[in-house]
Amino acid sequence: MGGQRAQVIDEQQGRAAPPGAPAPVGPPPELVFKRRLRPVQVAHELWAARELVRALAERDLRARYKQAVLGFAWAVLTPLALCAIFTLVFHRAVKIETGAAPYTLFAYVGLIVWQFFSNTMNQGALSLANNLSLLNKVYCPREVFPLATMLVATVDMVIGVGVLGLMFLVFWTAPAATFLWAVPLLAVQFAFTYGVALILSVAVVYLRDVRHLLPIITQMGVFATPVAYPLAKIPHRLQEVYVGVNPLGAVIEGYRKALLYGEAPDARMTLIAAASSLVFLVGGYLVFKKLETGIADVA
Amino acid sequence: MSRDYPLGTIRTEQVWKRFRADQQRMLLRDRVEQAARRLRGDRGEDWRWALRDVNLHIEPGESVGLIGSNGSGKSTLLKMLTRVMYPYAGVIDVRGRIGALIEIRAGIHPDLTGRENIYLFGALLGLKRREVAGRFDDIVEFARLGGAIDRQVKFYSSGMQMRLGFAVAAYLEPHVLLVDEVLAVGDAVFQQRCLDRMREVAEQGTTIVFVSHDLPAVQSICRRGVWLEQGTVRVDAGIKDALAGYRDSIEAQSEASARVGEPLQLLKYEVRGEDGDDTTLHTDEPVTVELTLGGDYRGDATLHLGVSEGTSSPIFQISHEIRLTGGDHRVACVIPRLPLPRGRYTLWTGVYSIGKTDGGTLMSWHSAGQFDVFGPMLDTPPRAVVMAAPVFVPHQWED
Repeated sequence: MGGQRAQVIDEQQGRAAPPGAPAPVGPPPELVFKRRLRPVQVAHELWAARELVRALAERDLRARYKQAVLGFAWAVLTPLALCAIFTLVFHRAVKIETGAAPYTLFAYVGLIVWQFFSNTMNQGALSLANNLSLLNKVYCPREVFPLATMLVATVDMVIGVGVLGLMFLVFWTAPAATFLWAVPLLAVQFAFTYGVALILSVAVVYLRDVRHLLPIITQMGVFATPVAYPLAKIPHRLQEVYVGVNPLGAVIEGYRKALLYGEAPDARMTLIAAASSLVFLVGGYLVFKKLETGIADVA
Repeated sequence: MSRDYPLGTIRTEQVWKRFRADQQRMLLRDRVEQAARRLRGDRGEDWRWALRDVNLHIEPGESVGLIGSNGSGKSTLLKMLTRVMYPYAGVIDVRGRIGALIEIRAGIHPDLTGRENIYLFGALLGLKRREVAGRFDDIVEFARLGGAIDRQVKFYSSGMQMRLGFAVAAYLEPHVLLVDEVLAVGDAVFQQRCLDRMREVAEQGTTIVFVSHDLPAVQSICRRGVWLEQGTVRVDAGIKDALAGYRDSIEAQSEASARVGEPLQLLKYEVRGEDGDDTTLHTDEPVTVELTLGGDYRGDATLHLGVSEGTSSPIFQISHEIRLTGGDHRVACVIPRLPLPRGRYTLWTGVYSIGKTDGGTLMSWHSAGQFDVFGPMLDTPPRAVVMAAPVFVPHQWED
């Protein structure tokens, strides 16, 4: 909050406005409020709200599964069903070549990432709009709402990874020793996903139309991202541009190399993806913070 | 740079806030139209000022009543104090933890149980899980939820939901407590407990800003009154002076609305004391109210007289059957001992027919005008005790 602007105020001024005094038409321009972002303060505030993020995520999880008979099984069933379809269509019909790794594992790795992204994006985009009554009454750093939806998606992802472990057992292979590469890739994945969720969440508040875009992005994205096929299917000279726009391509490819093929992720692609994700994250955060100040006015 | 104010201080310096008057929908189509207009050089923007140059300085521990008619900017100001809304210009500085009670049920999630909601609400207000757990029993006790605490909130009555909300915010021990017109939902007993709790919190040194149209409730809690009118601070003074000014202005407005086309008109009214030439009114002394009605209506009717202080509900009401014969009709009523303490009051009157068209309106209930009463001030009640109406009761103490 402001309060840092040096301004000498006559104490008497606030006490009683003389009735009938001509009201000025507007404030002096030098007083117009400007949002100033101090990174330290922002980080501190977000850290102080960690309890809230947890409580919101817990609320969403509980509310989601309170009404559902199968409960957490849904977090597993959706990617498994998609995985089965992909195996039928892309493996049997289109004959995608996955080398040493079984196609089902290959596709499932991609699906976990994609499911995480699409959950966060769909729920995160509506996270502000669905909580308007809350955030018009109580103050908290608003970025916690998309963050909480990402936390929910993370829980689903952890369950998905558990299922992946079972699948390794079923196919009787082990994750390659290079699997620690997944850690930096995970950071890229989170940064990009959160950046997109931030932009979309605030966009939905200002432009209701945007929510109709979500199913389109979800439908097209699952095919436009190398989920069912390897990144190599994208023409070689376009790959760098492609990864710049959609860092998930490099992330998924990196996970497969690290987990299934025992190779290090492609350094160049990963770096491009990391840079792009950082742009999405920082840009998304700035856009979010800029537009955040007006949420209570338009909603 | 700014001084370091103690926790619980509220400062607003030259705060301005505006809203779009032309904004209705938020579809892409509207944005495109707007952009097209802007390209043609027509900005097509219509702004309305909600707050203009508001300067307040509230010390820690002060209790301030924010009063004003609908649309005067009270809620906007409160929203900016909670930091939910941002000013267009100026500086707002609220030190310390803010507990806001603005539309209590808004923060409650219907699918969660009362217990889960208490923790969520606590987290929203910036409390750690441990801190909420420490106050959990107090909250449940205050909200009188008992066994319902593990039931989903959607099965609560609205009273239970509001009790839950108030209890959480009131037991969080904030530095600043902002309360906006939330007590209306509860029953009388709970309202009194809420006011008691606010008094307790105030006495512990919490700054309170209380917005309500329930002026007696405001008076019972607050020591200072800020009267907002059309987005500017009209009066910032002791609560009594602020309320007196505000009541005067509401009554002046209600007088201005004239009734036309009704069968009866109030031609003249007079409220006078009985002391010969001295027409001033005195507490506990005789008063005569004299009305002259004009109109063509013939037949029996009931004449109602009422007296109010700044609200639409009268302190007392008396009625009398009259027979109208067409032409002017004069009627007088003597009240032997006027039960009103010192103050300014409004006289209300209305006439309704008796007989075939029972209850037909001959002259609708309206305020005729104001009169002043001289006499003793009422004794001050304990804090947080709301007086429904200021009635003077003759009394004698014996020790």
